[in-house]
Amino acid sequence: MFTLLKLYWSFVKIGFTSFGGLSMIPLISSEMISHGWMTAAEVSDIVAIAEMTPGPLGLNCATFAGMRTAWLPGAAAANLGVLTPTLTLCAVAAVFFEHFKNSRRLAQVMTGIRPACIGMVAGVLISLSQVNYFEGAHVSLPSLAVGVLDLVLLIKFKVSIPKVLGLSALLGLLLFGGLGL
Amino acid sequence: MKNSAVFWALFLQFVKFGCFTFGGGWSIVAQMKQLYVDGEGQSALPGRGKLAAADLLDLTSIGRSLPGTMIGNIAMFYGYRVAGFWGGVACVAGMVLPPAVVLAVITYFYTAFREALWVAAAMRGVRAAVVPIILSALLGMLRGAFRYPPCLAVAGLTFALYSFWNVSCVWLVVLGMVLGLLICEFYERKSPDVHSA
Repeated sequence: MFTLLKLYWSFVKIGFTSFGGLSMIPLISSEMISHGWMTAAEVSDIVAIAEMTPGPLGLNCATFAGMRTAWLPGAAAANLGVLTPTLTLCAVAAVFFEHFKNSRRLAQVMTGIRPACIGMVAGVLISLSQVNYFEGAHVSLPSLAVGVLDLVLLIKFKVSIPKVLGLSALLGLLLFGGLGL
Repeated sequence: MKNSAVFWALFLQFVKFGCFTFGGGWSIVAQMKQLYVDGEGQSALPGRGKLAAADLLDLTSIGRSLPGTMIGNIAMFYGYRVAGFWGGVACVAGMVLPPAVVLAVITYFYTAFREALWVAAAMRGVRAAVVPIILSALLGMLRGAFRYPPCLAVAGLTFALYSFWNVSCVWLVVLGMVLGLLICEFYERKSPDVHSA
């Protein structure tokens, strides 16, 4: 029961301080790792799994983290947590919809939050790179090669994320499973 | 139509939307556009719930700027508009259900098979893809993120506080809010005739 409350509360924090998509990752990462619910490598796994399956990232992370921690009740608690801002704040905003639409204060607050999120996401990129491209103190060259290839596919050729993930899984099977690198 | 029938129809409609949301919430916005704006396909509530293109844009922009998942917020707004608070709850519940079920199943298998060698090998490849995915999303976020020059400093500051001093993200978002207010007040007072960039 205590774990469920902690899960719920963690995802309430994540919900209230994240603004769409990948800006959730820094929060999820620090909450999960600080509670010992996940390792940094598992955080990478959630991001990948969440991007491969239907549904927004925040909800998928909630289900994954909740299931890993306390099975179905955990998933329910975490989903409820991440939806709490929607069910409260957003319900209030819906009542004052016309007012919020052109709110100057909201625009001002967002002017600061957007760059703040970029800074945090950049921070999480560095910490995930340390986990995903290093083995102990050594750079894992095959991982790095897959990463560079994916980056080119994503940015230069606009390949969709599920396809990139599928390709990377195949390359992983080949390089680490087949060749045993 | 009875209220409970409206809630049920909204719920089922959003269950359908929820099944096809790969890679973030934008595909739901696209589906809502097809159904409610363009009027293509069978609406669950004939004659009700139509949206103008501008309305959908408003829903989306507010949904994005409030905390939480964008698409949950949009579902709440839309449902509220059509059938009040419980209509909103019906939409959110419907939208959440399919991804939650899919993920619960996947997580079950992930946990069970994580130790298998070939799964571990595939996951190593997938992990290598995560940093490029986040990086490409980050590059997409850069556009429009730095409205005034000091916003660059805000990003640098939160990066340093997050990476080197492990400051909690909650505080960094609050810091961003306060700095956003200060920066905007400063610039808007300096040149009051300039509207949003």
